[in-house]
Amino acid sequence: MGRRRRREDRAAGALPEAIAALSRSLPAGPSPEIFRRAKFDRPEAAPALWQLLFRVLSPLATDKTGATLVPEFQVRLVKSVLRSQGYPRSVLAQRSEGNSQSSRELLLALSWLLARGPLLEQLLAQSRVQLGDQVSLFESVVLARPGPPASCMEIEGPVDLHQVQWLMGKLRIRWRQLLSSQQEHCSLLSKIHLYTCGSHSHQRFSHLSVAETEMLRDPDNTQQLLQALECENVRLEAALEWRRCELVFWQWMDTVLGACTPGAPAVPSQPLTLPVIPERGLGELELVAWELQALQEELQEAAEPRRAAWEAQVSSLGRGPEWITARKTLQETVEQELTALQRSWEQSGGPPQLQRPHRLVRSKDGTPGPQDLQAAEMIRMLRTQEASLDGSLRQLQDQCQQELARLAGTLPGLIWILAPGH
Amino acid sequence: RGAEAAFMLPAVCARRLMAEIQGALDACSERQRQLERSLRVSRRLLRAWEPAGTPIPEPPPGSETKEEDPAPACAQSLQDLKELELLTQALEKAVRVRKGMSSARQRDRTPSLTSASTVATAGSTASAPSQASRQAGNRASARPTKGTHQAMDPAKNLPAHKLLSVRSKTPVGAGAGTTKHEPGLRDQQTTAPSAPPRTTEAFTLKEKGLWAQLSSMQTSDSTDATRAAKAQFLQKLQMVSGSSRPSAAEIEAEARSLRKACALLRLRMQEELSVAPADWMEEYRCLLTLEGLQAIVEQCLHRLQELQAAVMGGLPEPCAAGKATQASLPCGSKADLSWSPQLLLYSSTQELQTLATLKLRVAMLEQQIHLEKVLMAELLPLIRTWEPQGAPWLALCRAAYSLLCQGGERFLTILRDDPAD
Repeated sequence: MGRRRRREDRAAGALPEAIAALSRSLPAGPSPEIFRRAKFDRPEAAPALWQLLFRVLSPLATDKTGATLVPEFQVRLVKSVLRSQGYPRSVLAQRSEGNSQSSRELLLALSWLLARGPLLEQLLAQSRVQLGDQVSLFESVVLARPGPPASCMEIEGPVDLHQVQWLMGKLRIRWRQLLSSQQEHCSLLSKIHLYTCGSHSHQRFSHLSVAETEMLRDPDNTQQLLQALECENVRLEAALEWRRCELVFWQWMDTVLGACTPGAPAVPSQPLTLPVIPERGLGELELVAWELQALQEELQEAAEPRRAAWEAQVSSLGRGPEWITARKTLQETVEQELTALQRSWEQSGGPPQLQRPHRLVRSKDGTPGPQDLQAAEMIRMLRTQEASLDGSLRQLQDQCQQELARLAGTLPGLIWILAPGH
Repeated sequence: RGAEAAFMLPAVCARRLMAEIQGALDACSERQRQLERSLRVSRRLLRAWEPAGTPIPEPPPGSETKEEDPAPACAQSLQDLKELELLTQALEKAVRVRKGMSSARQRDRTPSLTSASTVATAGSTASAPSQASRQAGNRASARPTKGTHQAMDPAKNLPAHKLLSVRSKTPVGAGAGTTKHEPGLRDQQTTAPSAPPRTTEAFTLKEKGLWAQLSSMQTSDSTDATRAAKAQFLQKLQMVSGSSRPSAAEIEAEARSLRKACALLRLRMQEELSVAPADWMEEYRCLLTLEGLQAIVEQCLHRLQELQAAVMGGLPEPCAAGKATQASLPCGSKADLSWSPQLLLYSSTQELQTLATLKLRVAMLEQQIHLEKVLMAELLPLIRTWEPQGAPWLALCRAAYSLLCQGGERFLTILRDDPAD
């Protein structure tokens, strides 16, 4: 009896320690007491958990944003991201009350995120203190929109097409501006690298990065940086501790799930606040459907007459054994080719090596390490990519031209003069 | 003739179109803001070496034999810089001729600068004097070569010193004279600035150990019991929560993959159709390929319909912030925790600029292609269904042609072929 009691005590102590380690490794991690209260769905535990989920799910959130943003926005964002990540529980989404409810649901949501993948490690990698001039080759400017909708225009009613043209012109100007600012930035970076040559003791390069140069110039900056590194070390140690003792947390979460009222609806009813008009999500699929359908038509136009012609003349070719084997071989070859083709788009885009940010380093003749990239190679790769994208764009434009010519041709009595140089 | 009538886009269509274009504009502005922040920092740092008003064209480092021709984009600015330098040199000469005394003083300072540069030791940091007059007079000799180091303001050295003593408990690596605290200004200059990188290195060394540990823990994976417990939890949660539908992130990933598929299939089709078959075997092969492609497209369309049904059923709420998050929280199995920095090596300014420009151009093209598709999807149906009469339709056609076929850069002219003329 006594031994079991001691074991239980040890076990009882292990859980708060594990939760404490988890908290220390997270940004804005609440105390173990909050977790305990959340199990019993206490309302006072909810705000801290909303805050935590907001920090975890929004990459742009820092200590400051959390304070200045309205809690309703935090709540909305958390719900929205959970939904889009495929969080199966709809209870959270359905409740429209403010942020003082659903602490147990929040706890479940957090655990779901933790169980699915290496959330901690990803967060740590994201917020890592980087001293070098980091360059990542596959950042997409296209889809990354800033956080809270800054310029959320409410478009009511019809819009003049001229405005669309004007906006596209504005976009072109912005791109040009970006290009020239980028050029200047590169030239400045290069100069800093040159001026600080010989100042770094790394084995493979000898110049400083912008962050390191700033550090030298401004000792206060150094203090800040050292503090940041210290904080990171604390979080790393906490993460390691968590990984060692997290089992007891999962056993506990099982009980939390058990404590949920079994009355959770099996069929999710209509969510409360959703726009009826399909927005981006559906739009993407529509675009692809439209493209695929166009392709289907073209293939049909190409294949049908050929099939008819083939059938007509196949009888004259005889039915010898070589004929049958030849057909079979051809069928197999084509099948293999098409399977390979299918596999090629199922692979994820871009080798993972290139997706990590790299430190930009000036080096005349340095031998690259095993994981290093060289600018010349990257340039070649990007040129190929540019050419292929350019080709796709031109193809689309040609398609449009043909279509417009067809449509406009139906109207007699007009002369269409194309722009010069086309 | 007459004023061109305006074509008004219907509300629903306009909303979608404007949202897309505005999103693109916002993304550009954000990128511009980030760039300008970095530019401000870099300009401020460079002022120490290049005080305002005397910009030095890029200094060739010691071992670099010849500087490549600048990219055409910055040829103009380099030209300006060179002219400015010539002008400044001419002015200085005039100044020197008139003020013999000051020039003598300046010449005296030159030896101290060069001797400071000979103190250069591998791994230590010193700074060159950044005062404007000295700079102007000695630009020829002060041109930073690989051996020259730059000194910080003496006043700034003191806090760095303090930093060294406070952090003495951290294992400071063997550096150039880190323990020498002699009063000589030059010594201060050579030793103190090395403190921050050393202490940072000390911290980062400790970090290296932690990252490596965390990374190895990830690859070796947690104990079986933990993995099982997590899997069980997920399963139980799924079961009590009702039916699952694909998340918006998954749907988007599939849409991307299908888009890629469409492009590749189309390419393949064009390849087949571009070569005239020589004999019946090739004809047969071509036919089989085309029909095979048709079958795959059917499959893709079928999958697409399934996805569309799933979306209609659940309508995952789109959110601008959510989009950014999805990009950063991929549901992968491993996070990248490698400590040792992977390097991207470049050898000249021009190379760096080319790389950066290409990166931007690729992003730009991707955005253009996306907008092109959106415009096609919105405008072409309108043209097809609109009554082809009157000025508004012509305005639509003209604008559509410009936007869709010329990237909005050129326009076409429409003349009425009036038999009365």
